Amino acid sequence: MKAEISPRMKVILYGLMCVLLIPFVFPTWWMVTSSVKPISDIFAFPPQLLPQSYDWTTYSKVFELQPFVKQYWNSAYIAAIVTIGTMIVSSMAGYAFARIKFPFANTIFMIVLLGLLIPSEVTIVPLFQMFLKAGMVNTHWPLVLVPIFGAPSVFATFVMRQFFVTLPVELEEAARVDGLGRFKIFRKIALPLARPALASVAIFTFLHSWNLYLEPIVFLSSADKFTLPQALTQYTDAYGGPMWNIQLAAATLTALPVLIVFIIAQKQFVEGLAHTGLKG
Amino acid sequence: MADVTLSRVRKSYGALDIIHGADLGIRDGEFVVLVGPSGCGKSTLLRMIAGLETITGGDIRIGGRVVNDLDPKDRDIAMVFQNYALYPHMTVATNMGFSLEHRGTSKAEIAGRVKWAADILGLSQLLDRYPRQLSGGQRQRVAMGRAIVRNPQVFLFDEPLSNLDAKLRVQMRAEIKELHQRLKTTTVYVTHDQVEAMTMADKIVVMHDGYVEQVGAPLELYDYPANVFVAGFIGSPSMNFLNGRVEAGRFVLEDGHKLPLPAGVADTSEKVIYGVRPEHLTISAEGLPLTVTVVEPTGSETQIIARHGAQTIVCIFRDRVLPKVGETITVAPDLSRVHLFSESTGRRLS
Repeated sequence: MKAEISPRMKVILYGLMCVLLIPFVFPTWWMVTSSVKPISDIFAFPPQLLPQSYDWTTYSKVFELQPFVKQYWNSAYIAAIVTIGTMIVSSMAGYAFARIKFPFANTIFMIVLLGLLIPSEVTIVPLFQMFLKAGMVNTHWPLVLVPIFGAPSVFATFVMRQFFVTLPVELEEAARVDGLGRFKIFRKIALPLARPALASVAIFTFLHSWNLYLEPIVFLSSADKFTLPQALTQYTDAYGGPMWNIQLAAATLTALPVLIVFIIAQKQFVEGLAHTGLKG
Repeated sequence: MADVTLSRVRKSYGALDIIHGADLGIRDGEFVVLVGPSGCGKSTLLRMIAGLETITGGDIRIGGRVVNDLDPKDRDIAMVFQNYALYPHMTVATNMGFSLEHRGTSKAEIAGRVKWAADILGLSQLLDRYPRQLSGGQRQRVAMGRAIVRNPQVFLFDEPLSNLDAKLRVQMRAEIKELHQRLKTTTVYVTHDQVEAMTMADKIVVMHDGYVEQVGAPLELYDYPANVFVAGFIGSPSMNFLNGRVEAGRFVLEDGHKLPLPAGVADTSEKVIYGVRPEHLTISAEGLPLTVTVVEPTGSETQIIARHGAQTIVCIFRDRVLPKVGETITVAPDLSRVHLFSESTGRRLS
């Protein structure tokens, strides 16, 4: 039986939630409203919650000053490939660690998890050297390969393993009796049931790739190869100062698809994380 | 349909022996129940027949073919699991036809087989539902449907009724038995419930600590248990046991009380266990004096729990006798139903 919350307690709880919302909602509100303010109004004190006047030209300038469409496409296709690649690698690796008995499975899994403890700032220089030798600097290859086989994929593997561990063994045994081999059991039984976990892996992998900043600024040097987070820093005036309103207009356009994806898929995201025993 | 033979089948996990060389012959079309307390190895033995567990030693034959190293799919068996193991993302029809789909059966034939099984099990109206939309009994039927649709040589059931409530369990028990009588497929059924074993089996295999204690027809096990364990396990409430010795054609309890023995029992220096079932005791002028501690009238019979010294004795009377708690009654055994066991080996003497 669910405990009943008194109306008074409800009001207090909702009030508290509204207060807690401010630090999450205000930056987004400020970004969107400032993108249509004249630059002089952005830092006005007291801050204006609503613009006094609207300057929509900032949005057209976003496309004039940078190859923004191309950069948008770069971010989108890289994030898509990374997401699909990570889903494939992490689901197979997670299933193997959860279900297949092989020597030193737990030790190997611990070693794989240790990869999460190494910050990307530590590995970025050796990675740069490797990709330089492979002739892949100033291409999108590092931005695809590093996340698929690096820390984001390790985290995704952990999430998938935790899910597969909870899957009843009898389902797989029934499938074995029904005539399925190991790979078909994975594809026909385990994977379809892992949809919530896969959805959360897809969402946070997509977000991670979409927001990737360090790797693009290290590996990419041509504006037409830039991804969005890197492109945002390029909206500067002749003296190198940021053109805030245009930058915020670009940031709004950058954040838009992520926001939409999150709003649509937030249920799966939360369910998926619930399966891992982790919280946000 | 096929016979199943187990020859010296062993299972060990490292140094730990789980099954100590089981020998068992199951005839074509027979309904065999493996029964025993939790941890006796009955489910392990069933899983070894299914191919879900490897065997450490011995041979398993299905239809005369050694299947020791064959995958479950190549053994031509179907299994019903304790928690049903229905695929949650598939409808009832897809669940039932899934195995046929993976054996290259045509869609028309799958549909025909699924319809046939659904008609038998009363699932025709539920074919488009998902397992989460079904009750426990319906899920159980789908699990059976999934098994019969393939027409395998052997059915294996692993405690399929243990998740159901008491009423549904009785109903499903009858349905499984009826299904077996209709299909005549060799069936191996695991349960820890001896009533289920007695009512369903053609042959019962009683297991204890990884050993096969006795194999026989239900009433044979009830009437002639081979040892104290089987005597205590088969029958509800359990058989009463009294320790003592045989002297001058009578059984002498440790406290000196004497009970009659069937004719022809020779004196022995060995210590003996005297076993008598609760339903084979009657109130009599002479016999064993008991102090009544609990009286449980059920209408059709009266169960009395009483004490003789420190020993608890259970009696079941068909007559409506209602002694008061604390009252002393005297009971005598039906001599034709008395069982004697060696105290040292636990084996049957009579």
